[in-house]
Amino acid sequence: MKLLIKGGRIINPAENMDVVGDILIENGKIAAIGSSCPAAGAEIIDAAGLVVTPGLVDMHVHLREPGLEAKEDIASGTRAAAAGGFTTIACMPNTRPAIDSSIVVAGLTQRAKTEGVVKLKIIGALSKGLEGRELAEIGDMIESGAVAISDDGGHLDSTRLLKTGLEYTGMFGRPVITHSEDEGLANEGFMHEGAVSAVLGLKGRPAVAEDIAVARDIMLAEYANAPIHIAHVSSKGAVEIIRQAKQRGVKVTAEATPHHLTLTDEELRTFNTAFKVNPPLRSAEHVAALIDGLKDGTLDAIATDHAPHAFEEKDVEFRYAPSGFAGLETAVGVVLTGLYHTGKLTLPEIIAKLSYGPAKILGLDSGVLKVGAPADITIIDTEYKWAVDCIKFYTRGKHSPFESRNLKGKPLITIVNGSIIMQNGEVLK
Amino acid sequence: MSKAQVSLRKKDILGLEAMPAAEMELILDTAKEMKNIIDRDIKKAPTLRGKAIVNLFFENSTRTRTSFELAGKYLGADVINISTSSSSVAKGESLRDTLLTVEAMGVDIIVMRHEAEGSAQFAANIARPVIINAGDGAHEHPTQGLLDMFTIKQFKGRLAGLKVAIVGDILHSRVARSNVWGLQKMGAEVHLAGPQTLLPREIEKIGIQVHNRVEDALDQADVVNVLRIQRERQQKGLFPSAREYARIFGINAKRLALAKQDALLMHPGPMNRGLEIAPDIAYGDQSAIQEQVKNGLAVRMALLFLVLMGGTHIEAAH
Repeated sequence: MKLLIKGGRIINPAENMDVVGDILIENGKIAAIGSSCPAAGAEIIDAAGLVVTPGLVDMHVHLREPGLEAKEDIASGTRAAAAGGFTTIACMPNTRPAIDSSIVVAGLTQRAKTEGVVKLKIIGALSKGLEGRELAEIGDMIESGAVAISDDGGHLDSTRLLKTGLEYTGMFGRPVITHSEDEGLANEGFMHEGAVSAVLGLKGRPAVAEDIAVARDIMLAEYANAPIHIAHVSSKGAVEIIRQAKQRGVKVTAEATPHHLTLTDEELRTFNTAFKVNPPLRSAEHVAALIDGLKDGTLDAIATDHAPHAFEEKDVEFRYAPSGFAGLETAVGVVLTGLYHTGKLTLPEIIAKLSYGPAKILGLDSGVLKVGAPADITIIDTEYKWAVDCIKFYTRGKHSPFESRNLKGKPLITIVNGSIIMQNGEVLK
Repeated sequence: MSKAQVSLRKKDILGLEAMPAAEMELILDTAKEMKNIIDRDIKKAPTLRGKAIVNLFFENSTRTRTSFELAGKYLGADVINISTSSSSVAKGESLRDTLLTVEAMGVDIIVMRHEAEGSAQFAANIARPVIINAGDGAHEHPTQGLLDMFTIKQFKGRLAGLKVAIVGDILHSRVARSNVWGLQKMGAEVHLAGPQTLLPREIEKIGIQVHNRVEDALDQADVVNVLRIQRERQQKGLFPSAREYARIFGINAKRLALAKQDALLMHPGPMNRGLEIAPDIAYGDQSAIQEQVKNGLAVRMALLFLVLMGGTHIEAAH
């Protein structure tokens, strides 16, 4: 079976490629990339005016399976990913039970083959049961396919355990992903501490709680000479600490989310729980620092931190609502609207952070367009105007801070292993 | 716009941040009339006969709940109280469900006190009856703000141009926030003072003056509003001891003397005598604390009347 993507703007950040041309797919793999590929016998996708990119990679997703399937499962989560233009996603281990053994890693990998529509990579827990006391069987999980190790969902309080975890995980050449926020300082806070929390009376989570934790975590990684990845960076201070660490050669990478890159704590003035997230939405100066960090390479990836919750869980008083919301299906639209159409980042810069950047961190062979590689491809219409309607999401998490917002830019086609799995917003499998 | 044309703009009373000055003036003017009813032998006006009010209190309160209850009863409404000591979430029934249950019984007003900031807004988004915020966490306590303004106006004749010092635990105080919004809009100059650990970060960004030295806030003040210090804040390590608080931040006769000679001393109650306020001044010559309680009733009567009758004038109160 042949598929020809014709006349699109091909952006392939791994090779600094930004050209108009064709991509030929044969038997699930990329057969040719060029100015004009042979069309004989191929189904043709007219990509004129569209952007053709490596399949997008989201390295930070909560799929909630096993145990919390009312919020999300592999079937619904990977369909949401496909709708959002992602061909590979990596899921976090804060499930019930936690993903802290090779059996669970292998089981989820197996289920992904039957239930999933995009490629699923597993992130294993650093500590048994995510309890922060004893190391989980990290080596066993990595040998079963875990691509990284993390106790995400909360901060790892024990400095000693994080040091050991970094040393141990580092042996396998895999990164530890940290949720870096000192809970003692952020304790009991519901939003960013600043002028808005002062007015609302809501307890704040100060940015310095993130700065301190990021500094600690990076110092430990430097000491252990092991790779560390800082998840969902949200503070100006953290960006600067990561920047300095990179300059002195620490193996640190970092990500920012579409919401931290485009929203501020001003949104919380209505007490809308859709805006409650951890780390919290911060003030404009922090948002500006994140964008600078993306631009200069301090931040390597854009990841959604897709964290769906059941509708009724979020439909409560602000302080009782769980943090997080659905992010997979709005990511491309939000980032293009907020960063590309405003001229803050170029399209190749954005695509790099959504594909090659995260793939490299996780050691995946995806995120690039090359002959002979599996044909994982996303086709995006950067000018497509649409309004977010959570009810239509494929994810079970029907809350989004972008509900009813007008966005410009949308993935139109998602191709995994040469098969079209999403077209015009509809997931076909 | 003449006063006769002013009416309450929104269905609900959620806070003073969004309330225009003209509406506050209407409420204060109406309260003046209502206060007359409290002094009558027969404290019953038929104004709200046939109307039903539910006081839905998720937090303990004697003062505010009783005040709302009597306000409704003096105006002839049927009032019932629902008190619960724990959050709706802890009980297993959501706040949404509780509100819809009360709504289904045909009530006209829900007066709600809740520990969670924004809960009144949440209720207003869900329920058809009028929602009156009787305190939502540390966010707002609009009727306390209004009764404080009413009291200041009663003694000083005006609000514009006055220096009002609010002293104490600003961080956890819904009273402080409602006072700030209300007083600022009425042209008063608001100064906040307290230990840094009890002041919200960046609060000065809303255009008020903030002091750590109480003396600076009190200097030449027309009004000194003292906030309650909860002893549990000390246990949380926000200040070292009650003794130290009283010594450095407590309002006593010596500190009060820094304010203008005729300065008004206020406190939303209940007081910790010997902690945030010295016993000898609590009911001294300058104290308006008892009057605040009476005025609270008048203000709440005015509000109930205005939200239910859609009043653009106050004749119906007579």
